[in-house]
Amino acid sequence: MINWIFQLLVFPGLTFFVWIAFAFEWLERKTAAKIQSRVGPLTAGPKGFLQPVADYFKLIFKEEIIPRNSDKFVFLFGPPLYFSVPAIGAAFIPILGEKGVLSHSYDLLFILFIMAFSVLMASMLGYAAGGRYSTISIGRLVLQYTSYEVPLILSILAPALLARGLSLSKIVSSQISHWHVFYAPISFAVFLIVSLAELEKPPFDIPSAKTEIVAGWMTEFSGRPLAYIKLTKNLNYVFLSSLATTLFLGGPLLPIDVQDEFLKTILFLLVFLIKTFSVGFLIFIIKSALARIKIEQATSLLWVITTPLSFLQLLLIVLFR
Amino acid sequence: MVVSHCRRRQDLKTNIKSWAQKNSLWLFHVNAASCNGCDIEFVASLTPRYDIERLGAQLVPSPRHADVLVVTGTVNPLMRERLKRIYEQIPEPKYVVALGACAGGGGVMKGCYNVSHGVDKVIPVDLFIPGCPPRPEAIIYGLMKLRDKISGGSHE
Repeated sequence: MINWIFQLLVFPGLTFFVWIAFAFEWLERKTAAKIQSRVGPLTAGPKGFLQPVADYFKLIFKEEIIPRNSDKFVFLFGPPLYFSVPAIGAAFIPILGEKGVLSHSYDLLFILFIMAFSVLMASMLGYAAGGRYSTISIGRLVLQYTSYEVPLILSILAPALLARGLSLSKIVSSQISHWHVFYAPISFAVFLIVSLAELEKPPFDIPSAKTEIVAGWMTEFSGRPLAYIKLTKNLNYVFLSSLATTLFLGGPLLPIDVQDEFLKTILFLLVFLIKTFSVGFLIFIIKSALARIKIEQATSLLWVITTPLSFLQLLLIVLFR
Repeated sequence: MVVSHCRRRQDLKTNIKSWAQKNSLWLFHVNAASCNGCDIEFVASLTPRYDIERLGAQLVPSPRHADVLVVTGTVNPLMRERLKRIYEQIPEPKYVVALGACAGGGGVMKGCYNVSHGVDKVIPVDLFIPGCPPRPEAIIYGLMKLRDKISGGSHE
């Protein structure tokens, strides 16, 4: 029991994922800086590696302003709840073996539910803040969500169809010799596009468009609630890249058989981290290279191009399997 | 014994606080009736050649996320109330930087009827960066001074 709680909260659960989230933010800012031929964070820690830590500590020590026309309860207690959504999702990801900490036989459906719940939490927070910009942003967020949910589910279905199972452990164990990305490349591409939409990053940063609607639904938040929201956004990054690793890139599994238990754990962790950071890096490069599109362009891109493509991939899998 | 232990813990907390604050200064920029000269130099200090993100400074879109309010321009009566409002929307601890000669004391508009002769007549200012417009090097020097002020304040 104590072992299970340790796994859930410390390693490979919550604390581990929070530290990867910090590393992801540092990598994101450094990648964006390199693409714009800047240097990026440099002074906080070695090579600016402690920059995210400094940001979060500063936000924790700052004042919290509660707007007069906001829903105070949701405004203060919503952000930790929002943070818990990807934190629970991360516990399903298999890292040190074929099974995650909370793994069960239909956990892929639960992960879809978690991704929908994350958008619901964001819209709840935006409406609780009660500002005009938040309201506009939530309208855009929900519109974007309705257009990317169908390709998301269809692209996740492809590896489930290849593995003939709805559990992550089954999907991972079916990829021991060949990764699903070679059999479902279109679904992998669609999954990457949809993750950009889910993370509200360019070219889909329409709900938090800086030059149009201030900071989107985060406009009214300050201090600790803002720290929670920023951390959740980074955790979502990690969650989606590790999900792409699990579904398409074979998770932590190795093709060779290692006898030593300790060495096996270390190797699994290393393989998982390399794959997750590679997917994250790919998302950062796409994100930094593209500009924002309009909401109707995003909707038509997601409905007209990605949805038929993911259908086509499913059809190909069913026909040629 | 107990007192010194408590004080050490207090010191550690203030040290972490000032380290975090000086390494993560999020800027919010207000153009209070400026001619855009200072604004362009301010934006130039964010671009590749100068890149103040090295120091952890970032341009944020909302005043509620900000730590530093960067004001440019002669604050005219129209902007005075808005500037006060934006200042009050920034959560504590907050710092105000008056960028350029106009924000410092009127500049070329000194003596005109509808200017404030400096941001410090409207809101409290922590740092003046002179120049018409100030070069990005001057802006970086000013940011370093602000960092010194933050870490110096913790040792008192």
